[in-house]
Parts: sequence; structure tokens; C-alpha cells
Amino acid sequence: MTVTRINVGPVHPSTHGVIRLVVDLEGDTIVNVEPHIGFLHRGVEKLAESRMYMQIPPYMEKLDYVAPMSYNEAYVATVETAMGIQVSERSQYIRVILLELQRIASHLLSLGTLCNDIGQTFTAFMWAFKDRDIVLDLLQEATGSRMFYVNMRLGGLREDLPADFSEHTLNTMDYLEKRIPEYVAYLEKNPIFTERMKGIGVITRDEAKQLGVTGPVLRASGVNYDVRRSNAYYVYSKLHFTPKSLQDGDNFSRYKVRILEIQESVRLVKSALKALPEGNAKGMQVKLRSPNPVNRISVVNRELPKGECMMYMVADPQKPYRLSIRSPSFINLAAINHMAKGERFADLFGILGTLDIIMGCVDR
Amino acid sequence: MNLQNDLANLLNIPYWMSSTNIIHNIVGIIIYIIVISIAFSIFGYMVGWLERKLIARAQYRHGPTYVGMWGLLQNMADLIKLLSKEDVIPENADRMLFAASLPLLLALSIFIVLLLPYSPGLQAANLGFGLLIVFTIISFMPLLLFTAAFSSGNKFADISAQRSVLILLSYELPILLVVVSVAALSGSYNLAGIVASQSSSHYFALLLPIGLVVFFIAMLAEFERPPFDLREADSELIAGWLTDVSAPYYALALFLDYARMFLGSIIISILFFGGWLGPSILPPFAWIIIKALIISVFIIIVRATTFRMRIDRVLRFGWVWLIPLSLLNLIITYIVIIPFVK
Repeated sequence: MTVTRINVGPVHPSTHGVIRLVVDLEGDTIVNVEPHIGFLHRGVEKLAESRMYMQIPPYMEKLDYVAPMSYNEAYVATVETAMGIQVSERSQYIRVILLELQRIASHLLSLGTLCNDIGQTFTAFMWAFKDRDIVLDLLQEATGSRMFYVNMRLGGLREDLPADFSEHTLNTMDYLEKRIPEYVAYLEKNPIFTERMKGIGVITRDEAKQLGVTGPVLRASGVNYDVRRSNAYYVYSKLHFTPKSLQDGDNFSRYKVRILEIQESVRLVKSALKALPEGNAKGMQVKLRSPNPVNRISVVNRELPKGECMMYMVADPQKPYRLSIRSPSFINLAAINHMAKGERFADLFGILGTLDIIMGCVDR
Repeated sequence: MNLQNDLANLLNIPYWMSSTNIIHNIVGIIIYIIVISIAFSIFGYMVGWLERKLIARAQYRHGPTYVGMWGLLQNMADLIKLLSKEDVIPENADRMLFAASLPLLLALSIFIVLLLPYSPGLQAANLGFGLLIVFTIISFMPLLLFTAAFSSGNKFADISAQRSVLILLSYELPILLVVVSVAALSGSYNLAGIVASQSSSHYFALLLPIGLVVFFIAMLAEFERPPFDLREADSELIAGWLTDVSAPYYALALFLDYARMFLGSIIISILFFGGWLGPSILPPFAWIIIKALIISVFIIIVRATTFRMRIDRVLRFGWVWLIPLSLLNLIITYIVIIPFVK
């Protein structure tokens, strides 16, 4: 049978940003997928070498524009490690709360776009966006911004939580607790949804380890690895965090793991709010001169909504000598050829949707 | 005079057109064609507005609100915008086929519209085999979608063309099997006769529930409605056979999308819900429109909530469910319903 080569993207309705996939098709079956990346490359790592330490967070936020705070926190934590700065306990709790809210927002967006990718007319997409909007309202209340927050400071945050944030958040979490089972019922009772998701784009446990995928993609393949537990930072161990994993490694497990993670994040936010200690949450003010680093090399890994991010920084006085980022989306995207081979052309987009890549994060 | 009588007998032209003067007849038919075409366009347009509004409500949106009252003129604004754009026909497209497919599709739709009965006597031509002719014309439509896709020379459209042929295998046969059972039940291939026979017994929806379900699903596939919109699967094939269609042709395609849905609803209402029959509070014409609009709302709700099926699953669904069910429906019609119920 002749092989047809099709160019999907960079302008295509469901490529999640500017990615180009060169797809070889034999009939309707995928023979090979070759992702071409770099359309959104901004050279953030190089830019960081010419900026002061606290000038860099705004760049970090633009890496993953769906969950900006997570990247920002990873970077600030790297600088804190380099400078040996301790984070106050209240700040740790607040950071966990905000990061988990950010994770809920990111996973909801992933859920909505996935439904679009497998051929719905924006219905679940708009539902997920509406719920994400409520979570963004909370983040706006806490930080003053809806998209790019830049609220992390060395040793804490820019400002403490507002007075009625706790009450609003608990109300929203109660709403989400009722809302998520509605999504699950709506999606999983639909036979078209389940047959488009189950057994598609399978990564087995061993393959997942070899491919180096992380985050929900890894946990859907039966590897119970989550940085929040294996390298428990902040107060995750105090909040009794348990990672969620499933065995099948197909599209359905990846979607389901994200649903379970939203529920776990809701639980984490609630218990963190209940245990929130008094104290000072404000970090250091951003000044022209920051403290000099005490560690030359610092490595921090964080569980972002998309997967494991690792930041490696070689520190010079006042600015980084080198900042290297292991972006989860980049490594997850590399698995697409393995996952899509032998599947139908229509399922390529379901696979891309469950990988949940963000091109800003892939291209850096 | 003889010729005219023959023609009138052959076509069974309604009384208000069968004047003794042949010129009057021709003028009458032309006026009828124009009036019905305009009415059909208006209802197709309204169904388009209804679809945008209803889907918006399903998605916590308002839909069109600014242009006209309740956004009624939004589709008109879109139409004017599309008509004012440059019409691009791709270089490696087959220009003739590419330009002819969509207008031909419109012509076929209007042809069917003219053959359908809207009330006793309100029909351009009451043909003895009207049912068969309508479904023959309907089965030409996928062919035109195929030529439109194949002639545009786009790879995404090529995939759409392949799907277009494959999907035929799954739903054409069930449609015809259900149509046979309807004809058997009414004892006539005449569309007005089918409606008239429903007035003496029940609506066929009650007698042939399995047939109705199969027919409804197959009509979704026939008229490219989700979950069977594989030909223009927007998340996979960009727009499938419409990928390279631009400006006036795209406006036409958009209109046809709505109009064909309404056409399908009218056909379902004639075959299963007694067409123009209803209490005499409203004129017969209003009943058929109301029934068709309700069926359209169902089709729109299906679009708002479901996901797209994959091509191999559609084939499987067609052969494992639709064809056996339509055969079962046919058997039940002949063994149970015709001898005992009717």
C-alpha cells in the first residue's frame, strides 16, 4: 500500500499550539509521526544568563502559559536553594495551595481540549473552561492576576492571602467535588468516548520508563512516581499526599489519572487550608542587588501539572551563569511516535490531547 | 390538450395548478418552485440560527446576540462577509468539478424539497414512486461530497473522500431497508399516500419504533451530522472536503449544512410522524414545520453532546447494529404489524 505523507500543522485546529507533525499514513493507519518543534523558541535559558535573579520569573511564567505559577515556583525554589534561603512555614502552605489550584486549572483545560480533540463541538471544552475560570478567580484573589502571576518571592510570596480567601476557596472546592463526578458520568457513560479512549496509544510500564515520560502520562502506565512524594518538598508529606496511578497506559488511563489528580488536589487544598499556620508569608522584596548565592550548583525538581520539571542552575553573583530546564512536555512529546504508530489517523489527536503538551514548554 | 392531460396524470399535478391552459400550468409550477425554494431557504436559515443558539445554551454561552433581534441576522452577516471575500480555487484542483459540486448539491436538495408533500395538494409533483425517487436523489448526495473532496486536490480532502465512500457502506442499506418497511406498511410508494395512510391508523413512529431509531441514526450519517461527521471532521481533517472551499462556496456549504438537516427532519416527519396531520387548530403546513423543527432540535442536541465516531467503528456499528436491526424491523413489519395491527 502506498504511504501518504501528511503535514499536520503548524496551522491546524487541534495541535495545541504551533507544532508541526509530519504523519505518514498507510490508508488510515499511522506508520510514522515526526514532530517538528521550535516555532515558539524564545531562548529563555540563554536570556536568563543576562538577567538578574529576580528579573527572570516573568520569563519562566511564559514557558507554560497554562500553569505559569508552577514554573515560576520551580525557578524561585532553585534560586532559594542556591542562596540557602529558608521558606517560612506559612509560605510553604500557601505555595502548596496556590500550586494545587494551578494544577486543577491546568488539568481542567487539558480535559476540555481533549474532548475537542476527539470530536466534540466545544461542549465539554466550555464546561471545563467555566470551572477553570472559577479556579482562576481564586488565583486572581490571591495574586491580583489571572494569567501571569509573578507572585513568588525569595523566601515567601509577594503578599499574604486576603482575608476571605479561605472561605471562597473552600466553597469552590466543595463545588468542584460535586462537579468532577458529573464530568466523569457524562464522559464515561458515553460509549463513543470510551471506545475512542480505551486501548489507544498504549505505553506499557517498561516503555514508559525507557521513554522517560513523566507526570500523568507516566502514572497512567502503572509507575507510581510523583515528585511530590518521592522528593516531598514543602508540606506535601504533612498533608498525606498519595499519588494516583493506573495500569493500562492508554488514553483512557491518562484522562482518568488527571481526573483523579484534580480530586486529590481538591483534597490537598482543603486540608492545607485547614492546617494553615499563622506567621509571615511575605518574601524578600525585589531589589537591584539580591543576596549572593552560597551554592555554586543547585538542582531542584518539581512536579508540574505536565510532568516532572528539573531546573539546574550554576550560580554566579547576581545572575545565573547557566540555567538548564528539563521541560516535561518536551520529553513527553518525544513519545508520540511510539504511541501513535499503528493507530488510526483520527486517534493521533486523542493521543496528542492526552499527552497534554504546551508548546511554550516544549520549545522554551 | 391530450399531452397536458397525460402530463397532469403522470405527474399528478395538484388541482390548483392543473388549469386547462398549459401556459398557466408552467407559470404556476415556476411560481411554486420559487415560493417553496424561498420558504425552504428561510427555514434552513432559521434552523441554522436555532442550532447556533441551542448549542450555545448547551455550552453556557449566549450564541449570536448583536446582529438583529436575538442575533437572528448573524447568519446573514456571515453570509455577506463570505460573499465579499475572494473566491480562491486551488491550483491543483479540478476546476469544473470543484465549482460544480456544491451548486449541484443545492440543486439536488431543492429537487427533493419540491417532491415532498407539505399539505394535501401542496406538492410540486405527486409522483407514484415519489419515495423511491427521493431516496435515489438522496443517495446521489454523498457522490457529490466525494467529487467535491476529490477534486480539490488537498490531502485532507482526499482522506475525507475515502471516508465518504467507506461510510456509505454502513448507512445506505439500513435507510433503504427501513424505507421498504414504511412502504410496505402504507402500501404505497407515494409520499402523500404514506402520510394519508397514517391518518387511518397510527403514526408509523408507534408501529415501527426500531425502524425510526435506525432511520434517525442513518439520517444523521446521511446528512453529515455528528457523531458521523467524519467527512468534515474539524479536529482531524481541518474541514475535510471543505478544507479548500472558500468564500461563496463556503457560504453555500454552511447553508447546505443547516438546510440538509432540516430536509432530513422533514423526511423523518413525513415517513414516521404523519407529515401534515394534526389537530385543525393550525393549518397542515404549520404541523409539518413544527414536527420538523422538533426533530431538528433532537439532531442539534445530539451534536451538542456527542463525540465523533471513528471510521472503522462507524462501519462496525453499521454492520453489527443498523443492518440487523433494520432487517429485524422489516421482518416484524411483515410478520406482526401488517397482519395483526393494521
